[in-house]
Amino acid sequence: MGEAVTALPCKPATAILQISEAGEPWLRGYRCAVCAAVVADPTLCCRACGSRVTPGAVRLSTRGKLFTWAMVYRSFPGVAVPFVSAIVDFDDGLTVKGTLRATDPEMLHAGMPVVAVFDDAGGARDADGAAYLGYHFEPVGGAAA
Amino acid sequence: MSDVYVVGADLIKFGRYPDRTPAQLGAEAALLALDDAGLTVHDLDVVYASSTFNAASMIAQQVLKQIGQTGVPCVNVSNACASGATAFREAFIGIKSGIYDVALVVGVEKNPKGLLGGPPAAGPSPEGLFGSGTTPAMFAEAGMVHAAAYGTTIEQFAQVAVKNHHHATMNPKAMYQIETPLDQVLASEMIAWPLTKLMCSANVDGAAATILVSERKAREMGLSRAARIIGSALASDPWQPRNPALLDADSVTRLAVAKAYEMAGLGPDDLDMVELHDCFATAEILHYENLGLCGEGMAGALIDSGETALGGRIPVNVSGGLLSKGHPIGATGVANIVEIVQHLRGEAGARQVDGARIGLAHVLGFSAIAGVCGVHILEKA
Repeated sequence: MGEAVTALPCKPATAILQISEAGEPWLRGYRCAVCAAVVADPTLCCRACGSRVTPGAVRLSTRGKLFTWAMVYRSFPGVAVPFVSAIVDFDDGLTVKGTLRATDPEMLHAGMPVVAVFDDAGGARDADGAAYLGYHFEPVGGAAA
Repeated sequence: MSDVYVVGADLIKFGRYPDRTPAQLGAEAALLALDDAGLTVHDLDVVYASSTFNAASMIAQQVLKQIGQTGVPCVNVSNACASGATAFREAFIGIKSGIYDVALVVGVEKNPKGLLGGPPAAGPSPEGLFGSGTTPAMFAEAGMVHAAAYGTTIEQFAQVAVKNHHHATMNPKAMYQIETPLDQVLASEMIAWPLTKLMCSANVDGAAATILVSERKAREMGLSRAARIIGSALASDPWQPRNPALLDADSVTRLAVAKAYEMAGLGPDDLDMVELHDCFATAEILHYENLGLCGEGMAGALIDSGETALGGRIPVNVSGGLLSKGHPIGATGVANIVEIVQHLRGEAGARQVDGARIGLAHVLGFSAIAGVCGVHILEKA
């Protein structure tokens, strides 16, 4: 599994991830100025209320709460198992799926606080050898595997 | 407006057909349904074909190239696991509008093998890096929400598989006819907790077809084996704050079934049988509540009661369901209507639901980012 990011530049492995000009990773959502719904991808109008005020990009907190999860024992060929596929409600209102690293999956419970930790996306490289930026979840207060 | 009737309904045995094309499978089902209705290809005014993976190749026209190129309008539908219900509903609308008298709906699929799911990615595959996009993981996550809220156990989810595999032993068209006791279901390979392999739908090829006719045509043919379509609804996934990170099987199903009940002028207590979208065992538990077959949080108790087994108060998936009959994706939404029709006629053999007069067929479709639900209610004519 990937280590925490220490060396940049690299490129985001998934759309929610962004890298600032200073090289700092952050999580991007889009918030509706009318109804405050937050979504992960850019839309023409708000998909929650239909407002034509285009939802604007916002920087999301990396903290949230575990809503639900599945312990995955069989995945696509070549993917290391088992792992926890977790669905997390960020404190800012966006819900995101990610892999949760926990030493003891038996201790997982709905509502437990978790944090998104930036990583190197499993050490993946693109065709030019450039590194990727990824994220995973860890329980707040440690106990990460 | 004209009532719409189903006068022909049949399917091929679900299984693996590596040496046959989707068009050949669809053509066989189409001929079975035409023969069942006592009609020929020359009687058809229109063809609606559903295939999640083959609609873009104009599967309806390909079926007509197998059984007779009469030049009638052809409509090709891809709408995930609700493709069949979508095609059926379009045929219903076409006949109800008065434009057509006789329509063929044919659903056909040759499924990709292995685990389905997961979006295409420009960078590294997201699978494992950012959770799992496989369909069993998605339905495991949704089942875990129910478990957290109501204490639903893995044994209760597993009993769905025990029941539906038992039902399939009485269905010669099912992929599997094998009893799977609870210990066997629990001991089979764990895919994504709480789903073991026997709690995941059988990934198969298949085809199913129905013939829909106007009231005028139905009366001309005789109503003795006809089923009247009294409810038809289709819904797309409505806004929910966790959508699409969390597969929301609930909102879209509740939207569709409320419309279908309203059109039919009845409710869940009036149903004699249900074929619902048990793509995974967790899904059947969720849909007991979504369809109103029990109260909120009571689905675990409902499966425990045996009331959804053949002989119970409201038999669910007596065909064997997607778990055991199999899930050829674009054919599934037609096949579960075929099952209802056979029971309303009293022609379902060993698995016949005694005295069935009203049945509901439900399908739920999802991609990584979007959802659909189709519901149809049929009544013995």
